[in-house]
Amino acid sequence: MVTDISEKRKGVDTYLKIPLLGGAVIGFAAALIQALLFAAGGPQAYGFCVACHSRDLINYVTNSLTGSNLFLAPFSANAVAAGTLPVLTIIGVLVGAAGAAVLYKEFRVKKGDAKSYAVYGIGGILFMIFALCMGACPYRLALRIGYGDLVAVFGLIALIVGVFIGIKIAMKRMEGK
Amino acid sequence: MVDGFLIPKETAVLLVPIATIILGLVIGWLGQRSGFCSIGGIRDYMLFRQTRLLKGYIALIISAFVFYFIFSLIVPAAIPKFFWCLQEGQLFTAIGGAPAVGTVGVIILMIIGGIFVGIIGTLLGGCPLRQLVMTSEGNMKSLIFVVGMLAGAVIFTALLSPWIVQAFTAIGL
Repeated sequence: MVTDISEKRKGVDTYLKIPLLGGAVIGFAAALIQALLFAAGGPQAYGFCVACHSRDLINYVTNSLTGSNLFLAPFSANAVAAGTLPVLTIIGVLVGAAGAAVLYKEFRVKKGDAKSYAVYGIGGILFMIFALCMGACPYRLALRIGYGDLVAVFGLIALIVGVFIGIKIAMKRMEGK
Repeated sequence: MVDGFLIPKETAVLLVPIATIILGLVIGWLGQRSGFCSIGGIRDYMLFRQTRLLKGYIALIISAFVFYFIFSLIVPAAIPKFFWCLQEGQLFTAIGGAPAVGTVGVIILMIIGGIFVGIIGTLLGGCPLRQLVMTSEGNMKSLIFVVGMLAGAVIFTALLSPWIVQAFTAIGL
């Protein structure tokens, strides 16, 4: 019996491991959230975005701690005004991924040195600043393109150019070593 | 149906945190199992001509298009601007980003932002979703990256966004 269940779990897991399915699910879920909850406020194509949803969450926390009045997207701002919480996507992702990692025994603490922490910390700050310049992380960019926002196509082309430059820089550094 | 929406505004705002946390759980689980990564997909294709992750990102764009289209037929009020680039005079009008600047300004910000997001994402091993997932897998460097992202969001909204809007308005973009 026990082996049956784990076999079944393994069977489902082989499908979950296909990124193509993940992409299709994110697209569907983002569209579903907009269809159900657009009455809560825009903007369009806002179903899933790591950058914008993180911003809404952290700005909400900052606002409630310091009494400041930082920007939230209408979607989150209206929810907060109604006495509930802003978008919690980021917390969901962290918990969901942690659950999967623990269940499949893939949780391992990996530490870095002080220098790498500094690089990742500054990298994170800059990454978020540039993502918010775009008004989108790569995910909302994809949603916006699916929504028919031609401006986002410029973002995708720029992203591809950026990855190309990034690979060149990484290769230069490897040659240097 | 209230005003053409499936759920009236009063109920919808209450559902925002619940719906998004469920969405997050599902995406987090799938992201952990599949190693889903947008920037990684483009990188793997350029480096190794490997399409596993890239297919995921392309599937996301196609799936978003298909389901926005289907839902725009069922609840037109909730998908008001689907492919509005086809409407006259709306070709390059963005559907909402953070800094409120004109069309040319948005395109410039898109290009600058996209390039640097691509560079940083490639050098530090993944897009923001991948960093969140790696944080949950116990990677301390990714945790610091995520903390940096949160700090960056506050810095951007409090300091940079108003400055960008001012600068772009001043030069007439």
